[in-house]
Amino acid sequence: MKNKTFLSLMAAASPVFFTGCATDMHYVQTGDKEQIISSQINIQDYADAANAAVKELLDSGAIDKVANPPALLELSRIINNTGQQVDTDLLTKKISIALLQSGKAQTKIVDSKATGLQQENEFLNDQKSTRLPDFTLSGKIIETVDRAGSTRRTTYSFQLSLNDPKAGVQVWEGEKEIGKQGKRPAVSF
Amino acid sequence: MLLAGCTTVNSVENAQKDGQRKMISDQRVITDASLNRRVAIVGINSAMTPGGLLKVQVELENHTRSIQRFLYHFEWFDANGMQVNNILSANVPEQIEGKESKFIYSVAPNLNCRDFRVKFIEAD
Repeated sequence: MKNKTFLSLMAAASPVFFTGCATDMHYVQTGDKEQIISSQINIQDYADAANAAVKELLDSGAIDKVANPPALLELSRIINNTGQQVDTDLLTKKISIALLQSGKAQTKIVDSKATGLQQENEFLNDQKSTRLPDFTLSGKIIETVDRAGSTRRTTYSFQLSLNDPKAGVQVWEGEKEIGKQGKRPAVSF
Repeated sequence: MLLAGCTTVNSVENAQKDGQRKMISDQRVITDASLNRRVAIVGINSAMTPGGLLKVQVELENHTRSIQRFLYHFEWFDANGMQVNNILSANVPEQIEGKESKFIYSVAPNLNCRDFRVKFIEAD
């Protein structure tokens, strides 16, 4: 009888116990209202920087000034001058996708297999059709930190340059600054 | 202390304008009246980039005396009214000082874009 009562109580209480195991994990959209803002560079910062760069680049018309459009672009080095380990593809890939979608530029192959096949094709057909890039895209991400008391402001500067390797000049430059400010908690764990 | 955060903006501009803005009529759907009262849409004008892409500029005005933070994003549509896929369509955080007038703009993601829609949402 005691066992029966105990089992009944356990059955009645089980939803309470199981509820405790549930999480509020759910899908979110990048850049939505719920986004977590930390002092670290995050996916939203890359999206903002890429958005600003593409907008300014397309608006400038610099990429339209090529003899055979669409322009051929080669992604060069993005120097990371922050104290964080970052994957700069999060920035450059967004830019190259957006430029490809715009129809204004194509990016040079970076896949070694595809490059090998291209060279093989050129050799077999006895032709040199490899087109040199019209532009290269290079840049730098810089982090600066200012502190006053417990307030900390971190600014990330995303600097990008579109270089014309034939003329040896930079035909476009853009910079997007993203600042984040917050207070350090009085007690840290 | 009560006035903390209430910083407004003074501005000056040339009275005789050389540039003419090509204003376009707009259609608005307001679901957050509170945000619309604080950050109002003044007008929209458009132009073309040197490469033939549609460029849209929206003028906003902060009707309050304190800084307002919001998110916005542009959506683009082709001649058939279909939304154009855009990798950079995420919300863009923006802020506007008290009584400030500010422009935001975007450039169409490709040459097929004919129409647009801008969405605003209050930031937390």
